[in-house]
Amino acid sequence: MAGLDGVRKLQLRRELEAVVGRGAVLSDPEELLVYESDGLTLFRALADFVVFPTSADHVSAIVALANREGLPFVARGAGTGLSGGCLPAEGGIVISLMRMNRILEVDYDNQIAVVEPGLVNLHLSWAVGPHGYYYAPDPSSQQACTIGGNIANNSGGPHTLKYGVTTNHVLGLEVVMPDGEIVWIGGKTRESFGYDLAGVFVGSEGTFGIATKICVRILKKPQAVKTVLGVFDRVEQASAAVSAIIARGLVPAAVEMIDQLTIGAVEDAFGCGYPRDAAAALLVELDGLAVGMDTQATRIVEACRDSGAREVRTARDEAERQLLWKGRKSAFGAYGRVSPAYMVMDGVIPRTKLPYVLSRVNEIVATHGLRVGNVFHAGDGNLHPNILYDPRKPGEEARVVEAGAQIMRLCAEVGGSISGEHGIGLEKADFMPFIFSAADLEFMRRLKHAFNPTGRCNPGKVFPTRKSCGEAGPVAYKPHPIEEKGLAQRF
Amino acid sequence: MDIAVLDKLRAVVGPANVLGGVDLGPYVVEGRTPEAALFPGSVDEVRAVVEIAAGAGVPVVPWGGGTAAAVGTPASRAGLVLGLSRLSRLLEHEPGDLTVTLEAGMTMAALQSALRARGQWLSLDPPDAERATIGGVIAANASGPRRHLYGTARDLLIGVTVITGEGVVVRGGGKVVKNVAGYDLPKLFVGSHGTLGVIVGVTVKLRPLPDEERLVAIAFDRSKDAGAAARAVMASDLIPSALELVDAEASRPLRLAVGPGGCALIVGFDGVADQVEWQCTEVGRITRPLGGHDVQPLPAATWTRLASAARDAFDSPAAVMRLVVLPAAVVEAMEQGASAARQRGLGSAWSCHAGVGVVTAVLASRGAPPEPGPIASVLQDWRALARAGGGHATLDWAPLAVKAAVPVWDDAGAAGRIMQRLKASLDPHNILNPGRFVAGI
Repeated sequence: MAGLDGVRKLQLRRELEAVVGRGAVLSDPEELLVYESDGLTLFRALADFVVFPTSADHVSAIVALANREGLPFVARGAGTGLSGGCLPAEGGIVISLMRMNRILEVDYDNQIAVVEPGLVNLHLSWAVGPHGYYYAPDPSSQQACTIGGNIANNSGGPHTLKYGVTTNHVLGLEVVMPDGEIVWIGGKTRESFGYDLAGVFVGSEGTFGIATKICVRILKKPQAVKTVLGVFDRVEQASAAVSAIIARGLVPAAVEMIDQLTIGAVEDAFGCGYPRDAAAALLVELDGLAVGMDTQATRIVEACRDSGAREVRTARDEAERQLLWKGRKSAFGAYGRVSPAYMVMDGVIPRTKLPYVLSRVNEIVATHGLRVGNVFHAGDGNLHPNILYDPRKPGEEARVVEAGAQIMRLCAEVGGSISGEHGIGLEKADFMPFIFSAADLEFMRRLKHAFNPTGRCNPGKVFPTRKSCGEAGPVAYKPHPIEEKGLAQRF
Repeated sequence: MDIAVLDKLRAVVGPANVLGGVDLGPYVVEGRTPEAALFPGSVDEVRAVVEIAAGAGVPVVPWGGGTAAAVGTPASRAGLVLGLSRLSRLLEHEPGDLTVTLEAGMTMAALQSALRARGQWLSLDPPDAERATIGGVIAANASGPRRHLYGTARDLLIGVTVITGEGVVVRGGGKVVKNVAGYDLPKLFVGSHGTLGVIVGVTVKLRPLPDEERLVAIAFDRSKDAGAAARAVMASDLIPSALELVDAEASRPLRLAVGPGGCALIVGFDGVADQVEWQCTEVGRITRPLGGHDVQPLPAATWTRLASAARDAFDSPAAVMRLVVLPAAVVEAMEQGASAARQRGLGSAWSCHAGVGVVTAVLASRGAPPEPGPIASVLQDWRALARAGGGHATLDWAPLAVKAAVPVWDDAGAAGRIMQRLKASLDPHNILNPGRFVAGI
């Protein structure tokens, strides 16, 4: 970090320690290494400090020090992000929220909870589960990712088809603004007034400030759940089934697609009962009232059959249902069985374009001499092509990056988007012009300026004006530390 | 306004699409007549109009169906009404995508009818669907009883095209149902009352039409019991699409027999036939032990009358306030609010979306003195009630004299300063509906 010599750095470390206490500030290069990447290890950047506050006042004081020193700062949760969004792209201070992980309040009468940003997503559902409630957004990394990180990325998950993404569940936030002021935006009520600041804050990828308290809705657990597996000999049939389900007036809780390559990997790894010779499988979940569930399940089965499914079966019990979901949710980890490395893409297309886009994705990847596995949220058109490659082979990673860019362009061409849930971060900043005009981007810049006029809060993200991003060019895949510990799956 | 400016505007939209003089009657808001009303026929014409107005420093008031035109702090200058009625086409509807893209001036009724023909609907049911336009509904964040299950505009709007105060076309979001690329601009325009951009086009998420839908009323002699019943329904396995409470006054226009101090709980259900059937039975079973009686199905026409039930209780209301509180606190707000009015000798009618905590309170003008003092005092009491429970209140409608005494918008505090910065950053000439919104925006 330019301008921060050894003496000043030591001085600043002492001041940070005075705020958060000793043992809550890291500045040794070896310790900082853990925080140089998120789940997308293609990008790396080293911070000057990683600090672990335990209160909004701490965060505010850290931000004030950063501003005084003219240092950038960026909030970080579990580091499971997949776009480099929490990297200290220009050095400075990483503010880790992992020690702010309490559930502050649960109000069952009003079906809300107030939590700290470092709370692990799944831990909220665990806490309210015994009372018959859960927190709906369920990113596949939910065992590790934090609700604060979910706020930054407006995270989704398989069940967001019916229940919406993070933004649909957030009512209000206490935020440390980029100038250090602590402000509530939105509140505990279902509706706020004035501009929907909470609405624009969610998904702003940490560039509008740092959330220190979050008020979310919790939902009643559904009375009944039913999971149907459709097996297809052709991918186009599975795609057609997605449209057929919708045409029958159904909004399932989740509609997930898994292709042959992925099925093979999953079966090798876990043996979840997916037929290996199928071209694609659809995992469809219904939830809601027990009454009427069979009527709806019948419609799903018909929609799959009419689209050419060779087999449709309903999970007989919770164990079989869990096994099917395990296959889906562990698919990313299972790719290790078939490839030394892979890169996960995230794009969205109109549902009706699925057959065309999937075949084009295969062509694009094949043209680059690579293989692709698809496991994704078919119900809302959110693709996750995973390009398999070997980082030891010279030039292969560059081809992956090139194929990825072409897939993003394809999503844009069919009227889709370059990210459904992973965010723009560093990875896709240069793709933003695929879907946004210069005027759109300028408007977003001005919006950012209203929150973050100095630009010190998470610089270098979202916008296609990349100044520095750690190392130049892509670097070899390596597992993230939390992945190595088995705490998270790549998604 | 400078005659040369008007000439330029006329040249853009064509003389037939400019109203002036006596024709401006329908566009008079709170006694102020706009300088002209313009009806551009394309996005580019809207752009050109805003650009010219901005250059001349004339405020622009985006106008859909005019159903929320009187909401807000009275304007200091009426400016130009920019009507979107000629931008009323449905542009793209692919049922398999469950999305529709349309121009902002299309009415809700026209949209729903087009969608219904293909087995779908936009799950947003604001009042006055024949007049209200989709752009206006989004700008005013209007909603109806079905928001209990389906949410509001913020949950349904996935893409928006606006003309900024500098006459620039900006698109936010997109056409796909899941999208985190860039900032969530659609959220910014929901409830912004035309102060950040003129909404010209939108893309929204759709739902398949349910097989069946039904509305059931349950009478309670004590409103407390009705509140407990609403909470019991929320905590049950039922999945109502609407959960409304109306007090005795607001029950009258709905022709429900509710005694003084009582309340009707009105619950909507949709889905496949056996689901609706089972829930209608179950809701009676759950609420009867809590004092519910006279469980009765309501005609489908009641759906659209729920939103205005409290207003319809009186021939000419003295004021309408919207209180937002925690869902479990709605009955307390209703009871205390009615009592605050009574103490000043005034009648009031109350209804609410019980599950989301949005309460409509209407003050009767009958028996009210001509001076605004007592009315203002009641409204201030009501606002204090909402605030005490961590909520807020908006004065949805009141005569100018009352608005002079009671701010339309609640105090947004520190968040208000962020909103002001946002407005200054996005509408630097302060040309879009100035002075009518929160925090002086």
